[in-house]
Amino acid sequence: MKGAEEVSDLILEDVRKEFGSFVAVQGANLTFEAGKLTALLGPSGCGKTTLLRMIAGLEGPTKGRILLNGQDIAPLPAEKRKFGMVFQSFALFPHLNVARNVSYSLRIAGVDAATRRARAQELLDLVQLGDKGQNRVGELSGGQRQRVAIARALAQEPEIFLLDEPMSALDAKLRNDMQMELRLLQQRLGITTIVVTHDQREAMTMADRIVVMSHGRVEQVGTPQEIYHRPANAFVASFIGNANLLQGLSTERGVRLGDTEFAVADHGGFGAGRAVTLFCRPEAVRLSDSVPAANGLPGTVTFVRDEGVAREVHLDTPAGHVTAEIPGSFHETVRIGDRVHVEFPADTLHLLPAIESKAA
Amino acid sequence: MTASTLPQRSVLRGIGVLHVAAVLVLAVVPFLLVFAISFGHKVEGAAWVWGFELTNYRRFFVGTDYPDSVSLLYLKYLWYSVWYALVAAILAVATAFPFVWLMTRGSRRAQTVWLVFFLCSLTFSEVFIVMGWDILMSNRSGLPMVFQETGLTDWLKENGGLDLLREWGLATPRNVRFKPSEFATILTLTYLVWPYAVILLYPPISKIEREVVEAARTMGASPFTVVRTVVMPMVRTPLVGAVLLLFVFLLGAYVTIAVFADPSKHTLSISVYEAVRGSTLNAPFGSAQAVVLLLTAAAVLVIGQRFLSAKTGGH
Amino acid sequence: MGKLLARAFMGFAALWIIFPILVVCLAALNGGRTMFFPPEDPTLARFAEFFLIEEIWVRSLQTSFVVAFSSAALAVLTAWPIAYALWRRNSRASKLVAGLASMPFALPPIVFGVGLVFFWGYLGALGDLWSGILSHTILFLALPLTTLSIGLQSIDRAHLDAAATMGASETTAFRTIILPQMMPFTASGFFFALVLSFNEFIVIFFVSASGYSTVTVQIFNSLRNGFTPTMAVGAITFLAISALVFSLIARFGNLPQLLGADTSKSS
Repeated sequence: MKGAEEVSDLILEDVRKEFGSFVAVQGANLTFEAGKLTALLGPSGCGKTTLLRMIAGLEGPTKGRILLNGQDIAPLPAEKRKFGMVFQSFALFPHLNVARNVSYSLRIAGVDAATRRARAQELLDLVQLGDKGQNRVGELSGGQRQRVAIARALAQEPEIFLLDEPMSALDAKLRNDMQMELRLLQQRLGITTIVVTHDQREAMTMADRIVVMSHGRVEQVGTPQEIYHRPANAFVASFIGNANLLQGLSTERGVRLGDTEFAVADHGGFGAGRAVTLFCRPEAVRLSDSVPAANGLPGTVTFVRDEGVAREVHLDTPAGHVTAEIPGSFHETVRIGDRVHVEFPADTLHLLPAIESKAA
Repeated sequence: MTASTLPQRSVLRGIGVLHVAAVLVLAVVPFLLVFAISFGHKVEGAAWVWGFELTNYRRFFVGTDYPDSVSLLYLKYLWYSVWYALVAAILAVATAFPFVWLMTRGSRRAQTVWLVFFLCSLTFSEVFIVMGWDILMSNRSGLPMVFQETGLTDWLKENGGLDLLREWGLATPRNVRFKPSEFATILTLTYLVWPYAVILLYPPISKIEREVVEAARTMGASPFTVVRTVVMPMVRTPLVGAVLLLFVFLLGAYVTIAVFADPSKHTLSISVYEAVRGSTLNAPFGSAQAVVLLLTAAAVLVIGQRFLSAKTGGH
Repeated sequence: MGKLLARAFMGFAALWIIFPILVVCLAALNGGRTMFFPPEDPTLARFAEFFLIEEIWVRSLQTSFVVAFSSAALAVLTAWPIAYALWRRNSRASKLVAGLASMPFALPPIVFGVGLVFFWGYLGALGDLWSGILSHTILFLALPLTTLSIGLQSIDRAHLDAAATMGASETTAFRTIILPQMMPFTASGFFFALVLSFNEFIVIFFVSASGYSTVTVQIFNSLRNGFTPTMAVGAITFLAISALVFSLIARFGNLPQLLGADTSKSS
């Protein structure tokens, strides 16, 4: 492995991609830190795969520069970049056996057979498939295929390791295991890695940093904690986990929802009298029988989803629909139609820009 | 973004253009020649010269001596071409459809075995097939002999069956006689395209999912009703398409007609051959007949397409 | 009851297809000069006559082999670049070329035969063996064109992307990814063309212009003197070749897929 060798950050400068009149990626400015795992997260059609393919060299950007080691690699085709890539379908070659799939890049680079065999074995050992080298691809299970695809992409010692929705072909249980395994492998090798996913849980499990995208735009870049607790806007807040988003007007030290004024810890620099969105995670919302000192609203329970470990309570309040997540309990019960008091603790509230109306 | 250099690429491109040109010349020019020569002029006692005259088409539709007299001989040939081809194509598709339906419900392995079987018979040369049916239907051996030997002939004579067959042209006063006859012609033509019908119907019918059929059955449809109300409407387009393709294919049938059809009921393909390579040697007139054959095929295809798109459009 | 009826119908269909073929094959065993069914005085002497002794049969069988093998090989070589361009570019021009190249196969062969008589006659090549080979090449070009297109469509484009990320140029990817995966389809196209060329009659009848004759032409020419049991040996030979070739295709290729059936659900 290269390991010790110094590799620079991968920098995207104003990278844009158009397909005809459709803008797939609009001017992305991103820095992928060397040795870190970055997840490109967003709903399908948000441009994350196109961005990954531009980094791989499979698509040419319409505009912009892609910098690695101080050099613009945007004009280089994929075969000159040789960033290892794992595809959604794994794209294993059916006419080659497992070991030959893994050593494919070495074969076309003209590496001698003995070295190839040794390297293939080394990589298959790395992904715990040391005894499967002579098997046909068709004989492998989904999880094994993915490991082969990972080994194959790493065989050429790429500077950047790319994965396009690597877990989508696996079932739920296997997916959880592979997320951990892939993360541990990446940390062991210390290789700059970019993973495309639409699954926020997967992104948070594996990534050092998450890039949230929608409609070809980068919405936010940050650590999983930043993205979850300090979303930049309503889209990020609702795409990552569940969120209560209530429309209101900003005041000097808080927000006004209907008749009630709430104190807000993170005011976000909005002046008074602006339309804003109040953001609060369901697990921060408190329910009680007595009227709270501040930041309280009366509510009626409309639905209860009891998941055992936690309880998701849906409520109607004067400010709109609110979801609260409270610890599960065998003794206390919450029923549809119960009237309770809903408290939004000031230190868990944040103000976000108002959700743009559809007409705008 | 390939590694090849510019001169390399232009050489490749040049070879590509030459390749395409050669293919197109061989695939298209023969048809153009047929079309062009159909307007040519036949020189008595010699070959023919280029020209632009409609003599050959006039001869086809109304005869050489028009307007003094009208001859519909070649229109009659055309009629027999269409008649044989249409009946045989419809018969083949109508009988192959239930077969393919049953076949696609079998295992994949069984399907492959059937396909190999039909591909073998499909590629089996027309001349061999005609040979087989000829042996079967010839008067000195085959079925007429079987009729005679088993006493079937005598039985037919006694209860008047033979007279009925004679009316249909399938018997002499002494025994049954299958060739030449329209019966033998159409039978052999149907046989000729039957495996084609199977191969054409196989893809669309194999794509009908088991669950669609099961859904119909849970709603109370018997297997036969399922085929009639679900399967048939689903594959109506391929069924009509298969009839059309087989029809076009049969328009050019030669050996079967030459062996089994009565000379008075021959088709255009026979007279095309006679004009181009056979005894009459009139290339322009042969071409004109070939063009009419081609136009008939095209017309039937267009009408069929209209029929299909109108039906689906009205849905 | 319904199952029984279905089986009976399928059995009857198989019988109806196999009966005349069986008749031809058994006729080869006739001892006399005329065809009888059932055969009289059974003997295998006709096989020796067909393969070894009678020169017209030996020569026409050779001609059949030469025409079939050369035209099938040429058809595959000709179809490859067209199918590849069609798949790579998928432009209107390449679609037009593929459509025109399939025209001789789709239209009544007698018309194409007439056109070829004029075409080769014009070039002074009518009756030459090479013009006959080229005629079959074009006539059956549609077959490898179809099998190759089916094969190329089944290649996952992600495979090519994957190869590119591992350093393969377009040429290298063609050599290491596309070509190996396309071998069954290339072979199928070749054998389809081979078998059909072998059995083709009308076009070769027109373009051979008595310059040479294949087995099918020879049989048709002998038709005027009545069928002889020796000709039936030819039928058996051809049938055996077809059966062998299609069994091989079924064994090593995916026959249902080649014929256009949906195979995505199985396997």
